[in-house]
Amino acid sequence: MKQNEPNNPDEALRGVLKEWRTDAPLPLRFQEAVWRRIEDARRARPAAPSAWAVIAHWVGTMLPRPALAASYVAILLAIGVTAGWAQAREQNSRVKSELGERYVRVLNPYQTPRQQ
Amino acid sequence: MKKGIIILILGLVAAAAAYGCVYFVCMSSARSLQQSDNPELAWLKEEFNLNDAEFKRVSELHAAYLPQCRDMCREIDANNVKLQTLLSGATNMTSEIAASLAESARLRSGCQTMMLRHFFQVSQAMPPEQGRRYLSWVKEKAFLPDYGMPKEK
Repeated sequence: MKQNEPNNPDEALRGVLKEWRTDAPLPLRFQEAVWRRIEDARRARPAAPSAWAVIAHWVGTMLPRPALAASYVAILLAIGVTAGWAQAREQNSRVKSELGERYVRVLNPYQTPRQQ
Repeated sequence: MKKGIIILILGLVAAAAAYGCVYFVCMSSARSLQQSDNPELAWLKEEFNLNDAEFKRVSELHAAYLPQCRDMCREIDANNVKLQTLLSGATNMTSEIAASLAESARLRSGCQTMMLRHFFQVSQAMPPEQGRRYLSWVKEKAFLPDYGMPKEK
């Protein structure tokens, strides 16, 4: 119903477009140029930064800050100290347990290793 | 960027160095035990906080015990060989097998008596509290009620 109204501007525009004819030729390789422009526009869109880029950016800009650098080194030092202590504690315990077992084996004729 | 990478590497090197130093220092006691002339006795000294006089006495007892232990080992081995020889061709119980089994039982009993006597002597050479702790530990290790066999659930 709305389309038949004579005062409707869309209807009027549609009518004009239907009647419009042009003899001007399209430029050479018009379609190809259009697709190229679309492709260029797509490429120009900024891509999401990769994890590596984020890390590299962080190392380059944030890490050199004195407070952050000191905290980073201190945290890694603490991790190193804790890991070394924990590993040594476990190893110490294992060595001492083995020596205790060996002490009993040396004294017990049923456990003493025999020379072949 | 260059400064950041240097800090990054510095942190990792610091962590590795801290790990190595702490590990080396904390392992010094175990390392010295392992490198001593008699690691088992060195362990005993450390574990039961023996002073030099106590350790000397324990070492003497240990040295005196070892030849008896070796003799006992030889007797056990000889009897085991004899028993295996008897068992290899046997299809019935014989008096020789019974005698060898009885000898095995006698040797085990003698061995346990000898060990226990030694453990009591060593415990008496230690301070009372450490001696009790030693006895409790060594009895559990040397006199397992299941003879080392896995327990049924």
